[in-house]
Amino acid sequence: MEHHQNSGNLLRQGVNVFIILAVLTALEFAVAVTSASMLLLVTMAIIKAGLVLWNYMHVSKLGGEDEGHEDDRESYAFKTETNRLGLWLFLLSDAFLFAGLLVTRFNLMGLTRLPLNQTLGLVVTSVLLISSFFMNRAEVQMSQGNKKGFTTNIVITIALGVVFLLGVLGVEWRLAAAEGVIASANAASAAFYMMTGMHAFHVLTGVIFLLIVLRNTGKGLYNEEKHWPVEAATVYWHFIDLVWIFFYPALYLIGRLM
Amino acid sequence: MNRLTQPGWVRGLLSLVFGLALGSQGLAFLQFLATKTYNPFDVGSWVLGSVVAALTFFAGAGGKKVFHLALMRGLGWQFLGTLAGGFLAEFLRALLPDMEPFGKFGFSEPAWVLGAIVGAVSFLAGAGVLTDWFKWAKGESTPEHHHDPDGWEKYFGVSLDHKVIGVQYTFTSLLLLSYGGLFALLFRTELAKSGMQFLDLNVYNTLMGLHGMVMIVSILLGIAGVMNYLVPLLLGAPDMAFPRINAFSFWIAVPAAVLLLSSMALGGFDTGWTGYPPLALRAPVGIQMFYVGVWVAGWSSILGALNLIVSVLRLRAKGMTAFKMPIFVWAAVATSIISLTATQMIGLAFQLVIFQRVVGMPFFDAAKGGNPILFQHLFWFYSHPVVYVFILPGLGIISELLPVFLRKPLFGYKWIAMSSLAIALVGFLVWAHHMFASGMNEYLRVPFMYSTLLVAVPTGVKFFSWVATIWQAKIPRDMPTPLLFVFAGIFVFLLGGLSGPPNATVSTDLHLTDTYFIVGHFHDTMFGGYVFPFFAALYYWFPKVFAKRLDEKLGKIHFWLMTPSFIFLTLGMMKIGLLGMRRRIADYDPALGFDIWHLLLTISAYLVAASVLIFFINVYKTLKNGEPVTGNVWNSRSPEWQVPSPMPAYNYDRPFEVVGEPYDYGVPGSTYVKM
Repeated sequence: MEHHQNSGNLLRQGVNVFIILAVLTALEFAVAVTSASMLLLVTMAIIKAGLVLWNYMHVSKLGGEDEGHEDDRESYAFKTETNRLGLWLFLLSDAFLFAGLLVTRFNLMGLTRLPLNQTLGLVVTSVLLISSFFMNRAEVQMSQGNKKGFTTNIVITIALGVVFLLGVLGVEWRLAAAEGVIASANAASAAFYMMTGMHAFHVLTGVIFLLIVLRNTGKGLYNEEKHWPVEAATVYWHFIDLVWIFFYPALYLIGRLM
Repeated sequence: MNRLTQPGWVRGLLSLVFGLALGSQGLAFLQFLATKTYNPFDVGSWVLGSVVAALTFFAGAGGKKVFHLALMRGLGWQFLGTLAGGFLAEFLRALLPDMEPFGKFGFSEPAWVLGAIVGAVSFLAGAGVLTDWFKWAKGESTPEHHHDPDGWEKYFGVSLDHKVIGVQYTFTSLLLLSYGGLFALLFRTELAKSGMQFLDLNVYNTLMGLHGMVMIVSILLGIAGVMNYLVPLLLGAPDMAFPRINAFSFWIAVPAAVLLLSSMALGGFDTGWTGYPPLALRAPVGIQMFYVGVWVAGWSSILGALNLIVSVLRLRAKGMTAFKMPIFVWAAVATSIISLTATQMIGLAFQLVIFQRVVGMPFFDAAKGGNPILFQHLFWFYSHPVVYVFILPGLGIISELLPVFLRKPLFGYKWIAMSSLAIALVGFLVWAHHMFASGMNEYLRVPFMYSTLLVAVPTGVKFFSWVATIWQAKIPRDMPTPLLFVFAGIFVFLLGGLSGPPNATVSTDLHLTDTYFIVGHFHDTMFGGYVFPFFAALYYWFPKVFAKRLDEKLGKIHFWLMTPSFIFLTLGMMKIGLLGMRRRIADYDPALGFDIWHLLLTISAYLVAASVLIFFINVYKTLKNGEPVTGNVWNSRSPEWQVPSPMPAYNYDRPFEVVGEPYDYGVPGSTYVKM
């Protein structure tokens, strides 16, 4: 329960998780370049996903945050727990969509990959990971009643989200097309555009949610006790990151070059 | 003559004729634009004309206030939204090089697709389903509950009450059931004799495909209706966990149904309900409306399931532990687990074809590295489990009603509760048995054969429980209609169950696949698992919903007309299927000697339809003239019957407590709930 801990601990935790994520991402890149072991890459992606699920998305909260409000079904705490369950079920449903896209990718491409720009792939991945770090900071600040810190961090998150969108849709799609990865040319390229496009659509909706939350924070709608919309937008944002943790190796690292 | 002095039904009838003429001929004209031949008797145009006629009848009979109802507002906005989306797409296309704006059927295909999506969203915004969420996003607060108008108007407005939404779902489901049934009658008539009678091939194919998908949506809405009405009552909750999402889930199904039916006006489609590429890539624009319609309807399923699971996990009455929940609740949860997750896969499959057709992304073009089998895997990953979505609530209803009428405890409560979950989970692992003849890797056949046969185990548990519950029970001499439907459901589902393993076994399936045997098997499972229990539920809970009991005499006519005709229909299908009748074809060789069989099947199909018509007459008569009944009509132990009918808004005055086992009928001194 973060509001029982002091802010120094929480900052340290957030930084630690981020460092592990960054190191694993760098390792992934190195593994892909040197041995291209699919087993290692998948393992690392799963470890990263576990870290995000546990430390950023607080999946353990699903088990019930605190006891004692079961009798009062009109209370904010009870309703928040109900809402939380609903959000996670939605994410579960959404996860099936992304799993279907991964199935599509492996069915159409097998163990090959497209000639994509590796540097750019690493950059946009890093941008999204860094945005998750700031998103985590923003939520911590909100739960401690620090509206100013919250605003700073959420603005950085939104900015990084926009940079990611521009990086993928504006730069990556253009560079890929120049390399011959053209949506109408072959099924593999089509899968690439479908996966990145669907993910970008989710990033876009995430940015919109964050903007709404930011605006309503300014209106004074949330406080350290009651900020379910902030938590929802946060968990959704990390979920988008979680999806990319699997999409990045699937698109950029796994398989031999086509 | 002063229009306003005429009685409502005269105005309604005049408007009906006007709407039918306008709708059918307007669409025939649209066809003319596309094909350059004007056919005033085009079947598709007349079917859609009947939709227009229903609306004009409604408007003519109800007068001006009808236009203020959310339903009409939504439809109006859907129309405008479709135009707006279409013109936007055409405008964008005009800006791009090498693009011809407009095409067959007015808009070009991408414009129709965008128009369909914008139209569906416009429906929701126009009907007022999104209003509260927009306010929340703007930081405004809204009242927790909204007050519904009295009388019939509440059923046409956006209500947050799960009981109203349940009735809305059920009504829409019955409407779609009628359309799906009408389509079946049309092509069944065509099949009564070999040779082509009155349908052309494209219309035949379109009716065939739409019969399938319209019925599927009808069933999805039907189970959603029963679950919506019942589950909060059984849990002792004032409403579902998320009333607004509940309203959204219902209302999004309305534009979806409109989209599905509109495929008929845009050239139809010839793929059957499965929409397989590569054939789907060459079908007329109608297939896009089909895909988008199913995609939109999918959201109804996903969000409805989400709502239901959360409600069950969070809003149970005091003392209602997992193994004290009614069996129907278990079934509803099992069904919802499938809807929540697997629906995404059919959405993705359809989306990929939409993108291939609109943008030219060659997912299913083998010449460009695409793979049509991929579509089948994604499609069946949903479309097989979804048959369990259809039947699990129905099987739950059977288990729910048997003990009430036989006054005996349900045999093996825990086993039957777990068997629902087991069917749902094993159901995720069987999809490729639809693809034994598809050209997928052969080694996949064996595991999928065994996993499919495994489904028979939990299903057998259910039959064992029902038989043991019936064993040595005193069956009432004058069986009430719901019990009749329950018994018929068990029998017909047994027919469906026994004709299943031959299709699961690779060696026999390679012979049976794509024959009428499959059609007979499938309809037995759907009627046994859904239609008969659904009617049982309607007869059983009608007094709870409307405080009036459906007429027993008409109910029995309905039953005795429907059951033998239906059983004959499916057994006949299986017979000619075994002899080589292919499914989905519009014509057959008279030398096969099936003419007489097809004639008999057509007659029995008409008898089934007539029985459903009797049901509608029964509902109409009961609502109009029925005697009020407010008490515990069936002497049930279930909480919803312990309070007078109809249920008040927000359900129970005070929460009840579960103190005993749910199905201890005939056990002296036992109670399930303490009110």
